[in-house]
Amino acid sequence: MSINRSIRGALMPATFAVFAAMSASAAADTLTIGLSAEPTSADPHYHNLGPNNALAKHIFSALIEQDAQQLLAPGLAETWEPLDDTTWEIGLREGVSFSNGDPFTARDVVYTVCRIPTVPDAPSPFTLYTNAIAGMEIVDDHTIRITTDGPAPLLPNHLSTFTIISASASGAEDEVAFDAEGCSGLGDTPESQAFTDPDFAIGTGPYVLSSFVRGDRIVLERNPDYWGEEGAWEEIVLRPITNPGARVAALLAGDVDMIENPPTQDIERIESSGFKVSSGLSNRVIYIALDQGEAPTPGISGDANPLQDAKVREALAKAINREAIRDRIMLGYSEPAGELLPPPMFGTNADREAIPFDEAAARELLAEAGYEDGFQITLGTPNDRYINDGQIAQAVAQMWSRIGVQTDVDAKTFSAFISDRNGFAFSAFLAGWGAGTGEMSSPLGALVATRNPDAGLGGTNFARHSNSQMDDLLIEALQTVDEEAREALLQEASRVVMDSYGIIPIHYELTTWAMRDDLDYEARADQYTLAYEVVPAN
Amino acid sequence: MSDQTLPAQKPRGAESPLRRIIAEFFESRTAAVGLVIFALVAFVALFAPWISPQNPYDLSQLDIMDGTLPPGSESFTIGTYWLGTDVQGRDMLSAIMYGLRMSLIVAGTATLLALAIGIATGTAAAYFGGWVDTLIMRIVDMQLSFPAILIALILLAILGKGVDKVIIALVIVQWAYYARTVRGNALVERQRDYISAAQCLSLGHGRVMFRHLLPNCMPPLIVVATVQIAQAIALEATLSFLGVGVPVTEPSLGLLIANGYSYLLSGRYWISFFPGIALLITIVAINLVGDQLRDVLNPRLRK
Repeated sequence: MSINRSIRGALMPATFAVFAAMSASAAADTLTIGLSAEPTSADPHYHNLGPNNALAKHIFSALIEQDAQQLLAPGLAETWEPLDDTTWEIGLREGVSFSNGDPFTARDVVYTVCRIPTVPDAPSPFTLYTNAIAGMEIVDDHTIRITTDGPAPLLPNHLSTFTIISASASGAEDEVAFDAEGCSGLGDTPESQAFTDPDFAIGTGPYVLSSFVRGDRIVLERNPDYWGEEGAWEEIVLRPITNPGARVAALLAGDVDMIENPPTQDIERIESSGFKVSSGLSNRVIYIALDQGEAPTPGISGDANPLQDAKVREALAKAINREAIRDRIMLGYSEPAGELLPPPMFGTNADREAIPFDEAAARELLAEAGYEDGFQITLGTPNDRYINDGQIAQAVAQMWSRIGVQTDVDAKTFSAFISDRNGFAFSAFLAGWGAGTGEMSSPLGALVATRNPDAGLGGTNFARHSNSQMDDLLIEALQTVDEEAREALLQEASRVVMDSYGIIPIHYELTTWAMRDDLDYEARADQYTLAYEVVPAN
Repeated sequence: MSDQTLPAQKPRGAESPLRRIIAEFFESRTAAVGLVIFALVAFVALFAPWISPQNPYDLSQLDIMDGTLPPGSESFTIGTYWLGTDVQGRDMLSAIMYGLRMSLIVAGTATLLALAIGIATGTAAAYFGGWVDTLIMRIVDMQLSFPAILIALILLAILGKGVDKVIIALVIVQWAYYARTVRGNALVERQRDYISAAQCLSLGHGRVMFRHLLPNCMPPLIVVATVQIAQAIALEATLSFLGVGVPVTEPSLGLLIANGYSYLLSGRYWISFFPGIALLITIVAINLVGDQLRDVLNPRLRK
């Protein structure tokens, strides 16, 4: 008996008592979740995207897992130790088998790392996380040594981002050998499409794929041989319902047991209808980037670029009333930000508070910089990507206008916004960044490091901010294996950027889930919905 | 309508055609009510900057601390928010006045421009005939075979956002209706003796077309234009609702409705509801006027 059917039964009051008894037993059977975005593929290495990664974690496992706060925890690897600055020894878990019965060995790990660069047409490949690997040596079936070209302190974080697939089930030969130039023994590497077939999606995860119907549902069944703690549900149904209103309606009607990302303005209604909301700080910061690259800059009239002046940036930062945005627009579901990653994540300064709102100081700073009469600026923003993004941009425009900086808002759909932003069409834009690795080098390296594509730095620094002091600190941190020393360097680098107002953080998003009140889900910083971690409430 | 172009109708009665039309128009009480309502709407739209409590397009006058207040709430600055506020703290009453203004300006301008283009092409097609007629009418056919909203969406995807872009899109979508109407009428009129007479006098093409032919094609055009202006308002609202129309900081009625749409489930109905009512009233009023005009101007229905 599915939960859906038993809820419909409840429409008849006479059967209510029966229903209550049934639902308690039915609860252990099937869990249906309304997803806000559909995974683009069942191939775990095709697209480094939240929904895909979350689905992959049900069917496959990673060497190293991230807990709800993105701290590293043992997965298929039980130990990982640096032998020296460029060598890591990984001890694999013994007695783990794939869902087809094959044992999990070091060969599967090597095969997976080798396969990642071969995925055809991957829109966002995981090579970002395997590039640092220069050599892999199979010591025995359950021990691997990984060598890197330079010090790679983030290797454990990187190993936690992708999941391991079965070498044998994917058609590899008996001997798989790693070579940075091209591995041997891979056989024909699988196409991404193949993973939609339950017979092909062979993993070591808590669930196995039962069916994948694009646009409709993904059905998962419990893996009886899972190495970790058994999931609470016999069957999991993931239904993509991308329209937020429809998703809420599906929850209220009992069609689904839980939904991702209920709109903030509907949470009150959901709670008053007897459902539960779980929320937690995410690793995503919403920020405003100010073009410091050239003068003149496209969104500001005149030959000068006032944004190159740190005083103007400070004024704009202080003119934003972050508490008002949290209370009125996010309805409480955000946390005002003073850095690019929320504490207590790795590399954050715990004593750093959100940038205070001070209209008078902002006016004074503008006057000191020679802009008593303000200037005109256009603020670009996506209007369908981040929670209430368009509304936040309008509120910021309101606050900037009040200190004399006349602000227009150019709100666009995300794809159009991205192409404009990447063409440097904005003097100021609002966007978000989620730190996949869960530590400070991710936002610093992507958003504020001086643009240097060869070094993989500043890839999303479309404000062309550049601060050599920060660059030096960051690069040193990226080569420091010692955890404590690295954290200190990252903290300092973050402080340097924030003190010069190189980028203006607004808030950290809170990720929310809404569910039946007899369920529990611990909010995750990486925003993944992991159905196997949903448990019946006590 | 000048007398010289309507020689055949002159002996019909002593009163002028305009007076007869006005008199017949007001025979319908609903049409009269429609006209009065439309006049009110137009007045509000025209004088919005002077009569609205707040300028909702001036961001520095807004305060998000006043956001999503229900109708009747008090504010510190402008008195009472009679229709509540949206999430940015815009007074909905002022926003609706400005939204109406924006909607009417966009739709009105677009209709006039489309009318001009439609008249020129339609008259030319009918008057010259031959390949000119074929060319223009095939373009018209092609365009009318696509839904208006589809064409407008494609155009705005290419042109980008902005009030001017919306007007261009509406003109391109609507000119074909006028062209077809004008051509149909002009084809009939062209066979009449007064056109042959004018041509015998060796009058220029332009003069025959616009001084003699066109004025006699006007009545059906006026009817089509009143229907189309209501259509244009609705289309502009749809485009803005879909987020491809006017800028977010200068909302028209459609954008106001879109802004409130996501708040409907949470019970903050006023953000969408009141602009929706304003849009409804405007379109109904224009349609009432248009219907009566059609009846009055249609010679077959004439008593």
